[in-house]
Amino acid sequence: MMTIEEQESNAPPVELTVFSGPLDLLLHLIRKNEVSIYDIPIVSICDQYHEHLRAMQELDLDIAGDFLWMASWLLHLKSKTLLPSTAEGEEDPREELVERLLAYRRVKELASYLHDSDIVRRCLWTPEVATQTRSSADPELDWEDVDLRLLAQTYLEVMQRFEASHPPPLEVLPLRYKVEEKMTDIYHRVRSDGLVPLLRDLNSRSDAEEVVTVVVAALELVRLRGVFAEQRKAFAEIYLRPGDRVLSEKELLQRGENGG
Amino acid sequence: MDRETLTASIEAILLTASGPVAVAALVETLGDGEVDEKAIESILESIEVSWTRPDSGIRLEKVAGGWRCVTPATLDGVLRSYHGIASRQRLSQAALEVLAIVAHRQPVTLPEINFIRGTNSASVVRTLLERRLLRLAGRKKVVGKPFLYRTSKEFLVHFGLERPEDLPDPEEMVMDESAPVE
Repeated sequence: MMTIEEQESNAPPVELTVFSGPLDLLLHLIRKNEVSIYDIPIVSICDQYHEHLRAMQELDLDIAGDFLWMASWLLHLKSKTLLPSTAEGEEDPREELVERLLAYRRVKELASYLHDSDIVRRCLWTPEVATQTRSSADPELDWEDVDLRLLAQTYLEVMQRFEASHPPPLEVLPLRYKVEEKMTDIYHRVRSDGLVPLLRDLNSRSDAEEVVTVVVAALELVRLRGVFAEQRKAFAEIYLRPGDRVLSEKELLQRGENGG
Repeated sequence: MDRETLTASIEAILLTASGPVAVAALVETLGDGEVDEKAIESILESIEVSWTRPDSGIRLEKVAGGWRCVTPATLDGVLRSYHGIASRQRLSQAALEVLAIVAHRQPVTLPEINFIRGTNSASVVRTLLERRLLRLAGRKKVVGKPFLYRTSKEFLVHFGLERPEDLPDPEEMVMDESAPVE
């Protein structure tokens, strides 16, 4: 443990140890003052606790909220102690604190036992044989080995592997637009209007599938020479005008089927 | 299988097992109907005796419901020097406290651990889970369904316990309330 001695001109020396929590600090103060845990002099202990907090702040140690919470609780207990008790047989306001300190002290005892055990036990070495398969003699699943966290992690890994090897199937939807219909539509419009701006027409449609169908239909019409396409420069409007062949209804539908 | 072969087989299994070997597993592997747990245990005990000599570098220990072979703690320096390991990280005071709480009160939730320690222990618990000294043991059926924690088999092995109940009773350890705690 790190210990820092802090000497100030008018303040009593405060020994600063790294405490694992506010209860740890309180136990330290109780031991230092050689007072009974069952009869804590709240006023004095509270003052010393706050002195410690101040010293910790001066040293810029990070003070966790738990320390401040305890500080306020101690102040509360102090104020209760200083007030004359109103009724006889009233509960000692320190009772809850004493209980928590006792519980924490038991934990510290056990922790110190584990610490000593850890010191010795970590000096033990065991054979490190990499076993690939566990022996068939493994009587049954050892429940001590089953860790829910590990299980959840394993599940996620398995699912990830499964999804990687089983990509979702490609969904083929029935076509909502027919190339031959669009071909007929465009062909007749070009015939009657003389000039059809293809890009403006495409921009007016919001459905991507319809746009694709119209483009395919226009290309098919150009291939059949029923329609000519013109563009003055790159990215400019594409104009469709009548081609040098007249297409029959039958040809439009047949070509459309082949093209689609 | 005669006793000599049995002894040799058990030694070989112990030497190559990755963790404590349960007597039941030995019976299943080696037992041909004649060898029972009692016979295996008697052989294990004689192996333990024969290994526990000053001129032997292996020891047999009973831990976490099984048997495993380890080196004596006294040879740690030699081994670390041979394997080039300077020092190993110790468990922090906070980690030891959390382990003590879980070992004593399991299954236990994080809010319960925090309350007893008087300080937030979430990161300590996470580290101990990663080191596999703690394990998740479901959720408590209260508001918020907090996770329940238990000590793991690793914990028993590391601290040389056969069962979690083998830990000393903290009530007995605090006999005199004015006795120093540290």
